[in-house]
Amino acid sequence: MNERHPPRLAIRGLSKSFGGVHALSGADLAVMPGEIHGLLGKNGSGKSTLIKILSGFHKPDGGTLEIDGKPVPLPIPPGRSERIGLSFVHQNLGLLPEATVLENLIAGDHERVASWFINWPAEAARARRLFAEHHLDLDPWAAVEELTPVKRAQLAIIRAADRVGSHNEQATPGLLVLDEPTPFLPIEDVRELFAMMRRLKQSGVSIIFVSHDIDEVMEITDRATVLRDGQVIGSFETSRTDRSEIVAAIVGRSMSQARLVGDPPSGDPPAASVAGLRGRFVDDLDLRVAPGEILGLTGLIGSGYDEVPYLLSGAAAAMAGTLAINDGNYPLRHFKPAEAVAAGIVFIPADRQKAGLALDLTLTENAMLPATVQGGGRLRIDHRGNRTITAELMRRFVVKAQSPQQAASELSGGNQQKLLLAKWLRLDPKLILLDEPTQGIDVGARREIYDRLLEACARGAAILCATSEFEQLEMIAHRVLVFERGRVKAELRGAAVTKSSIEAACYGESRIHASV
Amino acid sequence: MRQSSVGYQVERFGLVLVWLAVIALFGAMRPETFLTWSNFSSIFGSEAVLVIVTLGLIIPLTAGDFDLSIAQTLTFVSMLTAILSARLGVPLVYIIPIALAAGALVGVVNGTIVLFFRVHSLIVTLGVGTFLHGITLWMSDSQTISGVSRMLMQYVIIHRIFGIPISFYYAVALAAIVWYVLSYTAYGQQLLFTGRGREVGRLTGVAVGRVRMIAFAASGMMGAVAGMLYTGTTGSANPNSGTTLLLPAFAAAFLGATCIKPGRFNAWGSVIAVYFLVTGINGLSVLGFRTYVHDLFYGGALVLAVMISQLVSGRREKTL
Repeated sequence: MNERHPPRLAIRGLSKSFGGVHALSGADLAVMPGEIHGLLGKNGSGKSTLIKILSGFHKPDGGTLEIDGKPVPLPIPPGRSERIGLSFVHQNLGLLPEATVLENLIAGDHERVASWFINWPAEAARARRLFAEHHLDLDPWAAVEELTPVKRAQLAIIRAADRVGSHNEQATPGLLVLDEPTPFLPIEDVRELFAMMRRLKQSGVSIIFVSHDIDEVMEITDRATVLRDGQVIGSFETSRTDRSEIVAAIVGRSMSQARLVGDPPSGDPPAASVAGLRGRFVDDLDLRVAPGEILGLTGLIGSGYDEVPYLLSGAAAAMAGTLAINDGNYPLRHFKPAEAVAAGIVFIPADRQKAGLALDLTLTENAMLPATVQGGGRLRIDHRGNRTITAELMRRFVVKAQSPQQAASELSGGNQQKLLLAKWLRLDPKLILLDEPTQGIDVGARREIYDRLLEACARGAAILCATSEFEQLEMIAHRVLVFERGRVKAELRGAAVTKSSIEAACYGESRIHASV
Repeated sequence: MRQSSVGYQVERFGLVLVWLAVIALFGAMRPETFLTWSNFSSIFGSEAVLVIVTLGLIIPLTAGDFDLSIAQTLTFVSMLTAILSARLGVPLVYIIPIALAAGALVGVVNGTIVLFFRVHSLIVTLGVGTFLHGITLWMSDSQTISGVSRMLMQYVIIHRIFGIPISFYYAVALAAIVWYVLSYTAYGQQLLFTGRGREVGRLTGVAVGRVRMIAFAASGMMGAVAGMLYTGTTGSANPNSGTTLLLPAFAAAFLGATCIKPGRFNAWGSVIAVYFLVTGINGLSVLGFRTYVHDLFYGGALVLAVMISQLVSGRREKTL
């Protein structure tokens, strides 16, 4: 950071309200040239409103914006962002999968690429230079759908950097806003992305990095600003700040990171046991889970831990294996979701927007679907009764919504996940299968989800939780199985379940051998 | 919440209000020809076929599938009925099950190709429909076949209740069944999830494939019912009868999805949309416009209906 320069971006007193609710009130933010600045906050804290004002999507009620010391009138007209030195990468990356890397790179770059003739060889050469300059291994002619997720993210980021670099009227390297580019990436890919961000920073680019992941923000940013309830709570120099201080700023009350569970309950007889399970990744897995136990499944990407819930719920076909539950013995090769539900097994997939909830449909319809499927023979659906049940579920699971008749799309991610839990836990399942149960969910809602899961355990349900969030396992898992190449590499129990021991087990040579 | 607001009620019944306004407008211009009971009873009776085709369409549409073959199923069954009745003298009690089975068979063929070969329903049903039209032309030697048993006509068009041909009541009864199945049965909910959240449904235990197969079979059978009524209405079968019904039925299905239960294909909305469309066309022809108004009106209505539903969903997104 060069202190003699004015900030690359300076926001003062930015405010925006929607129908009387202050989404953002008097927010200040300064980002220096060549700084990576984290933006943290729960869902609804004002992060997205701030970003959407910068991208010209919202018109602010008040406040000023200066870029490199020059005032910029607000609102920013659509399409002007790059010329004033701002560029955005959203979580979905905005790439067309069927098109090539090069087509995506120059798509919409009307100022540089003539509309009546595209000199493809020249553009490809330019793209190669650009990729080489940033140490990126990208082929201009490759189809984006064939790229790994991290390469797609790199492409989206380099495209943004290229645009802002070539169109900025101020002739500075500009500022990139990366809006949650990492949550779907495994940890090693996140590292690769961070390396790229550091190189961009060295060339003078400023970056606003929006994330839910405090650890990522601690690792990559120079400073971080925390928003809560539309207000800036503070800006921190990340290297000099304690993690718990930032967490406290985000949630407004200090969160206990302590374990919420103790030693594994005795598993005799077990709630469920699996023998000889084989899938695409999972290789000859045996496991037992006790009533009231939360068993964590984790590992590095590709280790196969995340396949287990899909195989045990009939969501994906297993190649071999049997599941014993409730005195029943189910061969898993042709196991169907309907049989799983009938056996008292419920599955909450990671992709809640596509596989968890039908977003167009109402909360009631979503919550009552299992009952609808099971009661297939009933002649009349009692809509009023279903609404009452759903309203009651919404109270019990603290789903914040106006009405059970709302579309599920109108809820925040955390509330959608709570509704999804309500949908399944209502059935009083014997075995609950979770895949990344708190992905993209803020700290407060996470805690509510943990509480509901612990309640289900207290009622005797067994839980299998596949997750890459070690911290989550530290909080809620009685026992953790760490996977490598489809097999269990290590087992951790009780007080030994800590973030660092799981990390050590994942990365390190493990001395603890599988004993399930 | 939204259910009780005035705006929502206006949205639900907007099309009904527009329909009444159209009736009032034409009524004021041509009270002696347009605004007569005989004109309306003939509209209600003759367009029952279109109502049933539309009801057939919305079943697979709710499950996220198109059935473009339904109009040709109608033509095929209409021709089959005429041939069985007029040429072979088969009595009505046998014709009805044969016709329904033929319709269901077309649906099962559609469903099998869509489900087992994973081809988009748009392409499959377009092909199957054209194929069926070929069979119809071959079967009839491209001729109109008349001389259908009078009993069929009795049960379709000659019997009247309150002056309206009985076919209208068949359509209303089918609408009531479709409405009930879509809104109050587990199958209706499964159909909805199959269309709007197929993976969600599958993981919750909905037999998505079976639901879609049943939807195709049901739309085939609705096409068959419409085909029998068509033959009964005119007393003959024309090998090109269904061709002009496909677009109006789609227009009515999408227009119907903007009212009564906005955002969803629904039975009563479809019925209202059909009668709104035919009232408009009837009125324009009473005013002296020629047949080209059919295409103008139906084509325009389809595009307009889709535009309105986009506007409605766009507005909902903004209120987030």
